[in-house]
Amino acid sequence: MHEVLVEWLPNLMKRLPEFWKAAGDTVLMEVWAGAICFVLGMIFGIILTVTKPGGIMENRPVYQTLDKIINLFRSIPFIILLTALMPLSRFIMGTAIYVRGVIVPLVFGATPFFSRQVESALAQTDKGLIEAALSMGSSPFEIIFRVYLRESVAPLTRATTITAISLLGLTAMAGAVGAGGLGDFAIRYGHDRNMIDITWVTVIVLVLAVSIVQWLGDKIARKNTH
Amino acid sequence: MIELEHVSKRFTLDDKTVTAVDDVSLKIFDGEIFGIIGFSGAGKSTLVRCINLLERPDVGNVKINNIEFTSLKPKDLYNARKKIGMIFQQFNLMPSRTVFQNVAYPLKGMSKDAISKKVRELLNLVEIGDKENAYPSELSGGQKQRVAIARALANEPDILLCDEATSALDPQTTYSILKLLKELNKKLSLTIVVITHEMEVVKTICTRAAVMDAGRIVETGDVFNIFSRPQHQMTKNFVRSTSHLSKLDDLMRENSPMVELKPGEMLVKLTYGQLDVSEPLISIAARQFNIDLNIVLADVEIVAGALIGGTVLILSGEAAKIHEAVNYFKSKGVRVDVIKSEIEDAIYKEEEVYAETEVRL
Repeated sequence: MHEVLVEWLPNLMKRLPEFWKAAGDTVLMEVWAGAICFVLGMIFGIILTVTKPGGIMENRPVYQTLDKIINLFRSIPFIILLTALMPLSRFIMGTAIYVRGVIVPLVFGATPFFSRQVESALAQTDKGLIEAALSMGSSPFEIIFRVYLRESVAPLTRATTITAISLLGLTAMAGAVGAGGLGDFAIRYGHDRNMIDITWVTVIVLVLAVSIVQWLGDKIARKNTH
Repeated sequence: MIELEHVSKRFTLDDKTVTAVDDVSLKIFDGEIFGIIGFSGAGKSTLVRCINLLERPDVGNVKINNIEFTSLKPKDLYNARKKIGMIFQQFNLMPSRTVFQNVAYPLKGMSKDAISKKVRELLNLVEIGDKENAYPSELSGGQKQRVAIARALANEPDILLCDEATSALDPQTTYSILKLLKELNKKLSLTIVVITHEMEVVKTICTRAAVMDAGRIVETGDVFNIFSRPQHQMTKNFVRSTSHLSKLDDLMRENSPMVELKPGEMLVKLTYGQLDVSEPLISIAARQFNIDLNIVLADVEIVAGALIGGTVLILSGEAAKIHEAVNYFKSKGVRVDVIKSEIEDAIYKEEEVYAETEVRL
């Protein structure tokens, strides 16, 4: 088995420890940035939903401000965001490189996207349910947790899946500023040194990762659809 | 008691202001089933939402059991709403919760056992106890509305608001839901406010009703009076739209041979109120005045526990005798509308009456 692998993937097998380290870095970036982005995106998505005109806590200034900020960050290409946020990253994390250094730009890159996804997931909640909950004496906070979130598990899962997958794409780009990870690994060896086997294996690993996330997301969403 | 005092509500959409509710004052007494009827767009749904402040009126006061709703603090309002149940045309059950969980939604702060007991009791009350583990998507419309009623009653409210609650249901299911509402009204001495565009609904369960048109209440009264002696044009249209006698309009429009008159004949509509129905008026008239009475249409039914209805007849015979017969009907409290007349006698101004029947439904 080992001989076959060495024959087919000569470059990769010589750099296995480095490959595992890169894969681990990708997982670290995905999990850390993903977790922070999930929490922030949920909060922003909920705020957008309840403060928008006709929402249960309608508030024009809050909605307009948040809406504009999200649009602003959504329109900045991620590669520019990566470099532009370096000072902020140094301030918050103490460094602008390695995994620690790219968590901030990853969060800034993915949160606005996820917030919009959450907003549109919650917008699918039937207005009649909100009205029924209000008629039963639910407070706005109860409605957020017991109606909006509870009734939107399936669309929220789908939104999370999409964001997790696009975040994986961003982590590959983050390699460009010295974050490490699989993207960086593939570029440094696969592209710069023309080691085709490394490119292929990286691609296959990423495809597998995406498939697993998608499969899991679909399963959870289906289980919560009645 | 629900008291609305000079309630108005406007909506602004694209610079256009629509007055959905226009200076409505209304009293709904404890234990009654009160109907608010009107065509779509009349403002009924907005009006009923002004009762539990799902819509806050721009002007006016809402008082329920002597509590001024319009000046309650948010927290007190949430608690007050728990005593006003509401059901909807689209049922509005939470799709990700089972029937049991839906009914348990408003029951918070109780022990698990107490909740289970209460939910089962409610589900049995609305006769759907066997469906507690089903999801709403597995239920029929009528079953969904029963679950919605159980949920609305969870906090033992004094008032139940029904916003077009039967409009999405077929006639048979509508009837079974109305029957249930009537039972609940008796059993729980529940005040029920029914919003509908279906006259049938009002006829079947309401004791009093208000007729709404363009945001205003144009007529209020006992359902029986509204049906037997509608005053406002809108009410007349409604009453006519549900009566078989409305076919008369079609017959007239089509110049049907059924309403064609020979010289000396007269087409009249008799509208009965209350007790007159039991008397054999027509056969008495035929014998007493020696005239022929040909029944074109007839419709008699029970409204709010009393008989109501009318007949459309062609009278033929001597002009003076016909005149006497008409007076006889009037003396018995029957309203007589002359639809068309081929009698030389000019006593009957047919144009005037005919103009009224021309109103399109």
